Amino acid sequence: MTKVLLIEDDSETAEEITAELVDRGFEVEWSANGIEGLDKARSSQPDAMIVDRLLPGMDGLTVIEALRKEQVRTPVLVLSALGAVDDRVRGLRMGGDDYLTKPFALVELVARIEALLRRPVESRETTLRVGPLELDLIERTAKRGDRVIDLLPREFRLLEYMMQRSDQLLTRAMLLEEVWNYKFVPATNLVDVHMGRLRHKVDGPGESPMIHNVRGAGFILRTGP
Amino acid sequence: MEASKALPLTLSGKSAGRNPMDRAHILRSNTFRWALAVAGVFAVFVIVLFGFIYWQADQYLIARSDKMIGSQLNFIAGLPSERRLDAINDHLKPDTRGVQYAGLFSADGRKIAGNLERFPPDLQMNDSVRSISVDRTLPAGRETHVIRAIARHMPNGDALIIGREVDETKEISHVVAQALALGLLPAFCLCLLAGAWLSMRAQKRVEEVNQRVQRIIAGDLRERLPHRDVDDPFSRLTVIVNGLLDEMEAMIQALAGVGNDIAHDLRTPLTRARLALERGRTNATTLEQLQSVADKAVANIDQSLTIVTALLRLAAIENSRRSAAFGDVALHEMLHEVCDIYEPIAENKNINLRVDVGHRLNVRGDRDLLLEAVANLVDNAIKFTPEGGKVNIELLRGDSETIVRVSDTGPGISEQEREAVLRRFYRSDKIRSTPGVGLGLNLVAAIVKLHGFRLVIHSGQGGRLEIICPDKQD
Repeated sequence: MTKVLLIEDDSETAEEITAELVDRGFEVEWSANGIEGLDKARSSQPDAMIVDRLLPGMDGLTVIEALRKEQVRTPVLVLSALGAVDDRVRGLRMGGDDYLTKPFALVELVARIEALLRRPVESRETTLRVGPLELDLIERTAKRGDRVIDLLPREFRLLEYMMQRSDQLLTRAMLLEEVWNYKFVPATNLVDVHMGRLRHKVDGPGESPMIHNVRGAGFILRTGP
Repeated sequence: MEASKALPLTLSGKSAGRNPMDRAHILRSNTFRWALAVAGVFAVFVIVLFGFIYWQADQYLIARSDKMIGSQLNFIAGLPSERRLDAINDHLKPDTRGVQYAGLFSADGRKIAGNLERFPPDLQMNDSVRSISVDRTLPAGRETHVIRAIARHMPNGDALIIGREVDETKEISHVVAQALALGLLPAFCLCLLAGAWLSMRAQKRVEEVNQRVQRIIAGDLRERLPHRDVDDPFSRLTVIVNGLLDEMEAMIQALAGVGNDIAHDLRTPLTRARLALERGRTNATTLEQLQSVADKAVANIDQSLTIVTALLRLAAIENSRRSAAFGDVALHEMLHEVCDIYEPIAENKNINLRVDVGHRLNVRGDRDLLLEAVANLVDNAIKFTPEGGKVNIELLRGDSETIVRVSDTGPGISEQEREAVLRRFYRSDKIRSTPGVGLGLNLVAAIVKLHGFRLVIHSGQGGRLEIICPDKQD
């Protein structure tokens, strides 16, 4: 079972997060302050960590920095009420960890934890395959079965990102950050419009749909229904 | 709230310690010290002046007396020797004050006539008039006097001395001292009085200002400093401070307005959420009903969170300084990117979105923020342009500036609305039904200002907004 260590000082928030993660089949360990959290991270070796940035005792980023010095590579999702993207947070993201601003939707939190746990492995494959879908990263071409899909550069980038994370829920915020490189949330539902066009191209008439819209959450690319 | 309450208390606490009408305080006041210094300088000046007058008068009197002595000598010397004795006696006789001196001595130093006992040792023969000290025989005894005197050889070998005591100088110094006492003392006192009066007046004004300022601190924003129609530095200062207060009052009112807007815009979705939850709690009978209520509540809470996020972001941009990390931003590429992003959205609405970039132009700035600004303008343009319309993104080159222009065939912004669109949460009545937070243009304005650029909103039919990037950013 996947083990998640949650370091969060607000017990009510911690309770909700724990309940949600347990529902999703995770094993959750909770500690309410930074020092205890650091000890638990060392002793129980979790698969992923959720760390609040402002903690009594030792702040969240310091906990992570201490772990990284000890060569502990556990992926971390940092929670914070501070939305400002400063240098420390930037460093965090470069290290493959993630940052989520409070308040957040639980769906978003779970999606990001899943994404952290299933980080795409660096592969030398130049072709991505998901079911009948095939993406040639060198030729920049896409096919579904024998049907060639004509994609614009941005659509190609979107499909590539989704195929690397097939069967994972991808939230709009994740897509905006990773595919569009947007640091802000635009007024218009950009992601939906772009996704609609991509879906139109990927799921042709008569074909079983591969891009699924999860209501109120985001999108999943998968072969099954 | 706490701080603003505490402030007047500490201030008034301080001012209570030094009652401005306190006499000791007036003596210590700056104005009074200046008056004292001026009075001192004045006194020194007067003393020097009187000294000079004294010295001049003394010189003049001595010169006159010397001339007299010379002419008397000449007169007596010009007489035949047998008449000189009589002439000397005649000369001395009418001198009741005892200021005249004369003496006739034989060649061997013997006294022939006059009131001098012996030939004064420090007197040179045939010299000009000079000061010497002489002994004088009086009934009471002998006295030493300093006199002006001259001596000359007579043709028969005798020595004739004529002298005069110049005691007028003493009288003059007396007169001068008297004049000083009469003139200087009252003038000095007048100076001090004037100083005290000026100091008191200044104190009074400062106290008046202090009282008004206390009232302003206590929250009466309409209070102003007392202003007199005189062109003195203090009045000018009051005018400046009053101007500042006007500005602050306007700003605080604007802030209060923003606060109200925020409260209103936050309360609307929160009220909806609350109502939905309350009604759902009582009326929902099935899980589906409860879920739909929860969805509604979440959507409304999300809306208020969006507003908070937008406000915080706006504040963050407005309060940030131009970063040293600004880099070269290739505007032509950026505009193409914005166009790529919004193309599908425009197409969905059957709007023709075109980008017209004639040159490759770079500006210094934060790429992410500039992209956000342009994206906001394009987002707005598409939102407010009716179906079948056009939105153009252009990159132009002015005289010494680079212009990003976003124009559309929508209703545009009227002259009256131009100011208002930059107000927070302003949403034109025409578009009230269109979803949005109403902070978009504020954000653009803040980003543009951070870069030292200008946002120009053209009024009239069809929207036309420009970000003007001067070549020299300051």
